[in-house]
Amino acid sequence: MIEFLLSFVSYWSEWAPRLLKALVNTALISALGFIVASVLGVLLALCLVAKSTPLRRLASVYVAVFRGIPLLVVLFLIYFGLPGVGIVFNALTSAVIGLGLCFAAQMAEVVRAGFLAIPKGQFEAAVAVGFTPSQSFRLIILPQVLRVSAAPIIVTFVALLKDSSLASLITVKELVLEGRAIATEYFMPLQTFIWVGVLYFVLAFPLSLAARAMARRATANLR
Amino acid sequence: MDIFWTILIGLLTSAGITVIVTISALFVAVILGLALALLREFSGKAWIRVAVDAYCELFRNIPALTHLFIIYFGLASLGLRIASVPAAILGLGLIGAAITCDIYRGGYASLKRGQTEAALAVGLTPWQTIMLILTPQALRVSLPPLGNYALQLMKDTSIVSAIAAPEIMFQARSMVTSSFQTTLIYATAAVIYLVLSFPLAVLVRRLETHFGQGRA
Repeated sequence: MIEFLLSFVSYWSEWAPRLLKALVNTALISALGFIVASVLGVLLALCLVAKSTPLRRLASVYVAVFRGIPLLVVLFLIYFGLPGVGIVFNALTSAVIGLGLCFAAQMAEVVRAGFLAIPKGQFEAAVAVGFTPSQSFRLIILPQVLRVSAAPIIVTFVALLKDSSLASLITVKELVLEGRAIATEYFMPLQTFIWVGVLYFVLAFPLSLAARAMARRATANLR
Repeated sequence: MDIFWTILIGLLTSAGITVIVTISALFVAVILGLALALLREFSGKAWIRVAVDAYCELFRNIPALTHLFIIYFGLASLGLRIASVPAAILGLGLIGAAITCDIYRGGYASLKRGQTEAALAVGLTPWQTIMLILTPQALRVSLPPLGNYALQLMKDTSIVSAIAAPEIMFQARSMVTSSFQTTLIYATAAVIYLVLSFPLAVLVRRLETHFGQGRA
């Protein structure tokens, strides 16, 4: 037991540079994937609450399809499948696109719930006091939506961060893939994967705590 | 067309493992999660609360793939070898317990405090109050999010292909290496998952409309 704990600590200095470099890639694909998911997700949410029926249908089909297909399948289709029809993305780009497409569906639901939480009268009142419709949306509605949805948006980001580990299976050099390389080199899978887990935890746990605090504040405001 | 049927049948035979892993992990998660939530809410001991919270945070803030590798490759290096399907069920079940524990806790938190006071006042023991009054109501509120979790879990079983559990994606990957019909195979896999998730999605919608009103 003591031997194990010692091996766990003593190799850290050897592994740290490699794991931290991989951590940068994890953060990079997560951040870029999240940006794609946010932009696409807000657009989808706007379609979901739109008056036009075809737009609503289209957006809800998108959400249903991407809620039904695992991220791993989407990643494999993009990275291994699309070259078959002549479209080639490198591993990192494939990961960003895949994460973006899948989590856009989740973001759409989160943002839509945010829109529904804002009373319709807000928009009418804003227009009545002289804001243009686009100003009312940008200055009055959207900031409130983002405040209501802040906690679930962070929760979505944490889920995306964790799922970015699947990018290892399409050869993106992120934490899990680097962990696997180290594990086979040193024959110490337990120690390496625990370190990998620790690094994810260090990134994700503060965000989860922040999300919980925000959720508490949001419900307190409602009362 | 022949190729397509070979692919479809090949993938469908492994869909059984996907379903088995999903149902078994769901079973572990739903039971263990409830036990954790009961301990967390009603044991009255601070160290139990801390331990359950630590469990939930550890399983919820680390990717499933990392947990699966620790269980499958990590424990094997200590001499504790678990076959890939049981390892998958164990890993997904333990992670799921952290998720369902949070769902149940939300269920208990949504109940009015007067419920406990009234139950105790009419002479029920604390144990009876928990099991007969609070838990059934908390479970009712928990059903829609549990349905959502089940849908997520079904999709997440695809990653157990990484520890060689022979489910749909594992089968797809091995068929790709022998037939090179990459696009067709993964597209077919996507359709199979969509078909598997459809009844679950409908169920979630039903649960939400049926039990949803009480939450607002």
